[in-house]
Amino acid sequence: MLIQFKNVFAKRDGHFVLHDLNLSLSERRIGVIGPNGSGKSSLIRLINGLLLPHAGQVLVDGRDTRHDVMVIRRQVGFVFQNPDNQIVFPVVHEDIEFGLKHRVPDPQQRRLRTRAALEQLSISHLFERVTHSLSGGERQLVALAAVLATDPAILVFDEPTTQLDLRVRNQFERILQGLPQSAIVVSHDLELMQAMDRVLVVQDGRVAFDGAPLEAISWYREHCA
Amino acid sequence: MRGSLYTPGQSWLHRLKAGRKLLALAILGAVLMLVHSLPVLAAVLCGVIWLTYRSGVSVSRLWRQVRTLFWFMLFLGLYSAWVQSPEAAAEMLLRLSSLILMALLVSLTTPITQMMEVMERVLQPFARLGWVDVSQVSLAFGLTLRLIPELSLQWDEIREAQMARGIKPGVLTMLFPMLVRTLRRAQEISEAIDARAVNSSTLK
Repeated sequence: MLIQFKNVFAKRDGHFVLHDLNLSLSERRIGVIGPNGSGKSSLIRLINGLLLPHAGQVLVDGRDTRHDVMVIRRQVGFVFQNPDNQIVFPVVHEDIEFGLKHRVPDPQQRRLRTRAALEQLSISHLFERVTHSLSGGERQLVALAAVLATDPAILVFDEPTTQLDLRVRNQFERILQGLPQSAIVVSHDLELMQAMDRVLVVQDGRVAFDGAPLEAISWYREHCA
Repeated sequence: MRGSLYTPGQSWLHRLKAGRKLLALAILGAVLMLVHSLPVLAAVLCGVIWLTYRSGVSVSRLWRQVRTLFWFMLFLGLYSAWVQSPEAAAEMLLRLSSLILMALLVSLTTPITQMMEVMERVLQPFARLGWVDVSQVSLAFGLTLRLIPELSLQWDEIREAQMARGIKPGVLTMLFPMLVRTLRRAQEISEAIDARAVNSSTLK
């Protein structure tokens, strides 16, 4: 699936955070790195219309986020940095089923899809658990399961490993490698970035470097550290 | 994502349909308003306590939910005894205790999504008339139920943070951070719901 940014300018809280972005993204694994406040999160929020461009166009599979935002959101699954923001309901299966409510009318089918998503991440045992009693890593996986249950074509991750310990972070990396969907990952985790097909370095609201992971990481270390 | 009222379990009260529980609560509420006999009100309270025991919800969990109300009711009872009579105070306390405990039991044993489904069914006639969007109303209702316990935790966190800085927490010093955090949380949740494309009115 092709994602295109055409002369995109974006504003948040009245300030420009992205300037004249022109990109064409089609690789299976794309990483985005950059200093805090550089515009990384704004860039990925543009992809599923959580942020609309101030000027220019963002096209996902040829559809404009301005006009077809709900269709695009059904294709683009978004995993937030903090799973607490994403998990709305207090029991794991309730929360996942909530996301399917308007896509899968049959409650039995919703339950099957929920179980399948949990099984895919090997966390079926969490089905009936109360979400606030889960560990941070488990909550992150539940948030991912909720997105996977909706069967998106693209996954967008906003700093997914920030709150994970090393063991869960490695588990997450293995899961990410095994997912069939395309993925765009914003992260400060440079080791995770090494497994990407392409890495963008965002600095001061612009893509300052765009290339293979190792070159992008060394450019980032040289210019932004 | 923190605290919530619902406690998963396998008791008969957990298995009972949400609609029946809410209907029973509504009937109990209406009937209790018409009852003035202290022995009957006491018997109803005993019945509700028995139901609570049978629900399998732990006493400590229950106490955590009602402890703030306990002091408020104690004050209310003393005030009522002073301005009215001890009998009137006892009647009010018995009635309120039964209702609060029963409402709490429904919340503790019913998943929010089941309550939302009941609300959607109840509002369906109004939706047919085009007066309400049932999905939006039930979502707002569900989120309200879900977030009430979180507000109390948020209050505790801000209070602790202020005490750690040597500030004596007061209503005025608490109000602003509470307001800011609540608005930020509302923004985060609305963004998460938008990202999950669960808005029925625009999902085409």
